[in-house]
Amino acid sequence: MNKSWQSYETGPYYDELVTEAGKPRVVARRAVNMLQSLSDEEMSARRTAAELAINDMGISFTVYSEGENIDRAWPFDIIPRIIKSKDWARVSKGLAQRTRALNCFIDDIYNKQKILKDGIVPAETVLESGNYKEQCAGMSPLYGAWAHVCGTDLVRDRDGKFYVLEDNLRVPSGVSYMLENREITKRVLPELFENYSIQPVDDYPSRLHSTLAALSPRKHRRPCIVVLTPGIYNSAYFEHSFLARGMGAELVEGSDLFVDDDDCLYMRTVDGAERVDVVYRRIDDDFLDPEVFNPKSMLGVPGIMRAWKAGHVAIANAPGSGVADDKVVYAFVPDMIRYYLNEKPAIDSVKTYLCMHEKDREYVLNNLDKLVVKPANESGGYGLLVGPHSTKAKRDQFAKLIEKNPRNYIAQPTLSLSTAPTYAGDRVEPRHLDLRPFILSSRETWVTPGGLTRVAMVKGSLVVNSSQGGGSKDTWIVEGSK
Amino acid sequence: MRLLSRVAERLYWMARYMERAEDTARLTQSYSHLYMDTPEGADLGWDVLVNILDGQPAFENRFRVYNEQNVLKFLISDEDNFASIRQSVRAARENVRTTRDVLPEAVWEHVNELYLYTKEHAETSIGRRNRHRFLDEVQGRCQIVAGLVLTTMCRDNAFRFMALGHLLERADMTTRVIDVGAGALLGSGRSNQTIDPLIWGSLLQSLSAMSTYRRNVGPLPEAAPAVEFIFKDPTLPRSLQFCLNSIRGELKQLKHNEQALKTLERARRRLKRFNPAQASWQELHQFIDDIQVDLYNLGENINQSWFLTDPA
Repeated sequence: MNKSWQSYETGPYYDELVTEAGKPRVVARRAVNMLQSLSDEEMSARRTAAELAINDMGISFTVYSEGENIDRAWPFDIIPRIIKSKDWARVSKGLAQRTRALNCFIDDIYNKQKILKDGIVPAETVLESGNYKEQCAGMSPLYGAWAHVCGTDLVRDRDGKFYVLEDNLRVPSGVSYMLENREITKRVLPELFENYSIQPVDDYPSRLHSTLAALSPRKHRRPCIVVLTPGIYNSAYFEHSFLARGMGAELVEGSDLFVDDDDCLYMRTVDGAERVDVVYRRIDDDFLDPEVFNPKSMLGVPGIMRAWKAGHVAIANAPGSGVADDKVVYAFVPDMIRYYLNEKPAIDSVKTYLCMHEKDREYVLNNLDKLVVKPANESGGYGLLVGPHSTKAKRDQFAKLIEKNPRNYIAQPTLSLSTAPTYAGDRVEPRHLDLRPFILSSRETWVTPGGLTRVAMVKGSLVVNSSQGGGSKDTWIVEGSK
Repeated sequence: MRLLSRVAERLYWMARYMERAEDTARLTQSYSHLYMDTPEGADLGWDVLVNILDGQPAFENRFRVYNEQNVLKFLISDEDNFASIRQSVRAARENVRTTRDVLPEAVWEHVNELYLYTKEHAETSIGRRNRHRFLDEVQGRCQIVAGLVLTTMCRDNAFRFMALGHLLERADMTTRVIDVGAGALLGSGRSNQTIDPLIWGSLLQSLSAMSTYRRNVGPLPEAAPAVEFIFKDPTLPRSLQFCLNSIRGELKQLKHNEQALKTLERARRRLKRFNPAQASWQELHQFIDDIQVDLYNLGENINQSWFLTDPA
């Protein structure tokens, strides 16, 4: 065994590749053995090769720092994360089910609001949320599909079970990196593929294309599909371009599009105006249409909502989908699954306490030192209380906040994110990770095999965001027997 | 194939910047060689290179003296000179970055590699020791990209706007080289005419036309036949005639081409009437000035007919 791996020790967490006894898991054995058989020089050479490939392929993401946009190379760890296909099948089924229920919910909220009338979800938490867009009321997109592309964040707790951490229903990103990660691994560790049958991921763009094409209001052989990007300075621009290329669609900015007097959407081409059928938009609702939402938006297209409501163009994800992407609504997803689908949830959510309910609130106030408390309407870890790492003063402050405005707070038990061997510095050490699979919905529902694994490169850290030093791993779903 | 106006514009500029980087590299290289070949006292001066690229104001903002070190820094690595090789490549890359979806994948990889290469090596390639290798590398890599486009892209509108960018930039560069090069180096009041063939050789070299000239015209480069060759030979890819003819071919296949074609035909008529054998330096200079105005107007026509100048 090379030196890099010699002192690998799992912590008190579930490790994706190694058992508590320090042995490789069955599904990962051949990969771990192969990696351990490489010399230390060879390990480091492979990492350098990966860095070169990333540079040459121009795989980057943009970060804002001191008022400047910096194009950074994509951080990647060469050791893949390996998941048994049998385990994944269960997760995949759960994700499809969950996304179906979420789409039923959004469609219901903008139409009959049965779930509110039946008292399953409290009306005011939905209708008073900033994510509810009244301009969308009365719309019923094809197949009842609103969130056509959903990125769901999963974590694996100490028991090895996957839990849904949050559903991203607005403009989730990351899928291009999932594809590129596989490409890099093929380039730098080709031997690893010899002994495995790994589910391919590279058909995602064509799946996305058929998902979007099915939404076209005009029925012709090649509907005109565009990817609407805020532009080169957006942190996910690389991905927008990647997907447009992968689908053979046009990558457009707001200024390329206009809505004419016939309420149809057109793009400006060198041959003149051409009608657009489907917009895969990667800009937020608020910037989509200055006529309807933020009037100052320069990114959107004036009149695009008119065109959408007239049924002349499909927008994916549909405006207003964010109503189901909310920390309080999250707590009700298992109820939605039972309510709309009459099924038992096949994948677990993290237990969530809603401070608006007296019983929950009491529990939360008594257990602040064990829980993570989050404001319902903020995102990105802003104004968070992590109980086990907090001070008495901080807990008292949050107790006051919760009592003052209980509706605005939820609490969850602190999870132990799973780890996987990660090549950090000159040794392989366990690092925490999460997983974001993508679910496509229109005529059919489809779940990516695996997803984007993000890994906290700093020892002990739970922060996996690439903007804050997080990295990523290729994620394999492999057949058990071979 | 549909092509967005904005994308057309970026492809066009990507091509112009790539062409500019390549041409500047070739020009700089052949001039460096010429400089080493000329006897002491011939007094060629390095300002010629800056003048060819119309860079005097920008240069004088940054530097005091037109010496080798300053001029080469200005042309190769200067980040404030938007026409330096490094900045041209950077601008080309920015344009590819936003049009990757319509280009063959390898184009992005090669342009990006070229960008990384110039970023890493520009600064250390100003001195004579590394200069040659750097300029060689830049030309070679630019040609790889041009070759890729030529051998893998469909002859659709995307290709067409790139071709227009290349041709227009090339025509522009060809006329500049003759104008300033010939004017400054061969103009009146010089004493040492023995080096004239050397200079013409260098000018031809900077347009990749030396060996073709030898085969077609003769071994010794002389003023009038060289100008005739560079401007009017319809088979030489960097001749003015060739560029204008090719631009015409591309324009003919686009809709809304009336304005641009009109301007182009004006330039072609002007070239037809011009006779280098009988022209004085003064007339040559005037001719080039007029052609430059035509080329500028053609750029404006392209802008107005196909790009996003008027959002309505």
